[in-house]
Amino acid sequence: MSEATAPATTADENAQPPAGRQPQGGGSGLRRFGRTLLAQEYLGVLVATIALVLLIGAFYPRFLQFDQLMSILNSATYIGILACGMAFLLAMRELDLSVGSTYALTALVCAMLVQDGFNSWLSALLAIVAGGLLGLFNALLIQYFGLPSIVATLATLAMYRGLTLALSEGTQVLGPPLEDSFSQVFTGDVAGVPVTGIVLIVVAALLTVVLRSTPFGYRVRAIGSNPDAAAFSGIPVNRVRMQAFILTGVLGGLAGVLTIGYLGAADPNTGTGYELQAIAAAVIGGTSLAGGRATIVGAALGSVLLGVVASGLAYFSVPINWNQFALGAVILGAVSLDSYVRRRRRQATARGPRL
Amino acid sequence: MLEAQGIRKAYGGVVALAGVDLTVLPGSVHALLGENGAGKSTLVKVLVGAVTPDAGVLRLGGRELRITNTADAVDNGIAVVSQELSLFPDLDVLSNLFPMREPLRAGLVDRRRMAELARPVLDELGLDVGLEQPVEQLPLDQRQLLEIARALITNPQVLILDEPTSALHARETERLHDVLRTLRKREVAVVYVTHHLEDVLAVCDEVTIMRDGRVAVPSVPARSLTVDRIVQHMLGDKVAAIVEERSHQGDMSFDPSTPALRLENVTVGGELEDVDLTVPCGRIVGLAGVAGAGHRAVLSVASGVLRPDRGRIVLPGGEPLKNNLRGAISQGVAIVSGDRKRYGVMLDKPIWDNVGQVSSVALRRDGMFLRAGRIRERAAEHVKRLGIKTPSVDQEVGMLSGGNQQKVVFAKWLEAAPSVLLLDDPTRGIDVGAKAEIYNLLRELADRGAVQLVSSSDPRELAAVCDEVVVFFNGRVCARLSGRDLDAHTILEVMNTGVPPRDPGPGHGHPVPDGAPGGRS
Ligand SMILES: Nc1ncnc2c1ncn2[C@@H]1O[C@H](COP(=O)(O)OP(=O)(O)OP(=O)(O)O)[C@@H](O)[C@H]1O
Ligand SMILES: [Mg+2]
Repeated sequence: MSEATAPATTADENAQPPAGRQPQGGGSGLRRFGRTLLAQEYLGVLVATIALVLLIGAFYPRFLQFDQLMSILNSATYIGILACGMAFLLAMRELDLSVGSTYALTALVCAMLVQDGFNSWLSALLAIVAGGLLGLFNALLIQYFGLPSIVATLATLAMYRGLTLALSEGTQVLGPPLEDSFSQVFTGDVAGVPVTGIVLIVVAALLTVVLRSTPFGYRVRAIGSNPDAAAFSGIPVNRVRMQAFILTGVLGGLAGVLTIGYLGAADPNTGTGYELQAIAAAVIGGTSLAGGRATIVGAALGSVLLGVVASGLAYFSVPINWNQFALGAVILGAVSLDSYVRRRRRQATARGPRL
Repeated sequence: MLEAQGIRKAYGGVVALAGVDLTVLPGSVHALLGENGAGKSTLVKVLVGAVTPDAGVLRLGGRELRITNTADAVDNGIAVVSQELSLFPDLDVLSNLFPMREPLRAGLVDRRRMAELARPVLDELGLDVGLEQPVEQLPLDQRQLLEIARALITNPQVLILDEPTSALHARETERLHDVLRTLRKREVAVVYVTHHLEDVLAVCDEVTIMRDGRVAVPSVPARSLTVDRIVQHMLGDKVAAIVEERSHQGDMSFDPSTPALRLENVTVGGELEDVDLTVPCGRIVGLAGVAGAGHRAVLSVASGVLRPDRGRIVLPGGEPLKNNLRGAISQGVAIVSGDRKRYGVMLDKPIWDNVGQVSSVALRRDGMFLRAGRIRERAAEHVKRLGIKTPSVDQEVGMLSGGNQQKVVFAKWLEAAPSVLLLDDPTRGIDVGAKAEIYNLLRELADRGAVQLVSSSDPRELAAVCDEVVVFFNGRVCARLSGRDLDAHTILEVMNTGVPPRDPGPGHGHPVPDGAPGGRS
């Protein structure tokens, strides 16, 4: 590797995240793009997703239609956005089990504000802020009671869900009507690509930049990689953790608001089990549960893979009661394959003494 | 000028510092010495704000200094290289070099600028690594250099080094000393904690010696000291057991029927080339070489971690070595590694648990249910024997001083009663007194018939403890030194040049039992 050019590669990769990157013409740019792509942690999930789509398409060509693929992208958006936040937390050895409940509660908040006569855009903004506050509450619990995040958020998982059920009295609450500009935007599409899907892409791109190129992202990964060393280096672990949890809450809020825009109603039971799917998506995408490394694009792709599996099962007319089982099996397969490949790659690249 | 006055620090009942004064002057390299557990690292941590003292004040250039973490310290011009490496293994080299002080451009981390700042420092230290390489792939010595680079990049007025050379080879250490001399010219104040006393005399101006949390000898000029005097001050009234160069017998021949560890035509792509090595029971053989010469690959191969492409390894019992670490351990192979954080100890477990780990858990000697009481008894014996400084065997290993943690690594493997002992920089961070004790222990093990292979960053250690030293060059055995040829100077020369020493002439012959000495390079 030549050190002189290496930093430059990364620098402009940062400016233009891989998801939206266009090779700037010229063979070397293209080759560089190829090499960057090959080195990405999410390569595995990308290949797996494409392969699975083609496989299903081989049996049911209808599956390959653009509309069908876009509807999968749309359905993957919500878990995808949650997974992006989860990747941040996993990168610093934390976990948020309350994201599914946050998603439901913020959706409800948005819908209720609309019912109270607030402007729909303002309601959405307030709901996202509420999501951030829910994340902050998680962080405060962890910090002041010294709870492990898995325990604290297990509690808030139930609390936030309970609050949703209580506030909604167990029934659906309608959001803005279909002709409202808010609903118009989020049910719409740009050149056939659903706006929800575009939101996912934009979120993934932005967060990739945040994780890889901002001091905050550096700190998140440093803490996850070696918490003692991070504290020793003067990294404010508590503050960074708080920021990461707020970020996750905000993303939960964003996902909740999107569902109001797209579906037009808040169901108090929506998003049950999303926390585990978000974790699965992040891990499938190449984020390590041991901390230190994460890929946002991978997390988003992981959620798309889950979406492909879910709709593929429908095509193969697997009985609905077997869906959960099949989904679990796919997650297991993807994760173990990934771990195998990673181990092989590490063995191949490891140089120097092994003792 | 950095001043510490009346610093006290106690951890529970353990008094680490009992009122310590220290003054470091600009343009001077100040050695801070003392045996394991004397309180050196604790003092260092206080000086850089990583530990808040119970009492005492710090002053920098006359004004009182209030710092609560190392980032504050850096802002005040104080940089530290800590004893326990504090890098981020998942991040690449560049990302490790600027914690909390990443240069920015338009709000984003400016990696180009980081590279510009890092290159000259890495070059000065002779650290040749890719900036994008993940740190976990680097060997221990490079990680240590990286840590030093991280401190130097901050351009400090006060530089504090806590055993910075414990994993470095002679040439790297020399390079660091050159850097320190340059810093001295630039009026930087340097605090240098080390157990290599020759280094102290080579590069330091002043010496402070600590004992049991107090200053035993305050700031004396290094010129007025000798290694012996320093050792006396460090150990106090304890008997000064100084490591002496052993007188080596030249005769390295042995009866071919003695059981031995045999490496037969071992080849590992790019690392080892057709290596034949026979180590009979009861012998301590040193492995030397510059980085990548293959001497450490031999240890990896002999422990089953690294699978040879060709050739085989036969244990003294006659059975071939199993191809993985666990298997090797069950066959009686032990690995004492200086990289204790990675391979040695469980920091959050008590001493007794660590000591019983291999024999009880890996080897299942104690049956299904561990007999904790018995293990604790055994652990207490090791603590006494190795002089591990701790209130009890229930102490978490992470709370011991660095050198004492390393002694726990020893205890754990001794408890497993190995027949083949692989030692990779085994005495890293251990003080002179305890080193002597450990060398005696290795001798005893040898007398009881164990095979021992030692690699060390310190050729003096090899000369002191080994019967024979095998020097590697470019993946091949290039010389086997024994008898008169076995001294630190010759080892260094041969490993750096790859030229075996000339025939020492008649009188102290150079018989090498299997194959000509280094005819292959
Ligand atoms: N976090 C801690 N908790 C409890 N005791 C501690 C802790 N850190 C250090 N100590 C104790 O304080 C004493 C001094 O330790 P310190 O690490 O300063 O020794 P040192 O002089 O650096 O030794 P070495 O040469 O082995 O590195 C030791 O007895 C050690 O057990
Ligand atoms: Mg120490």
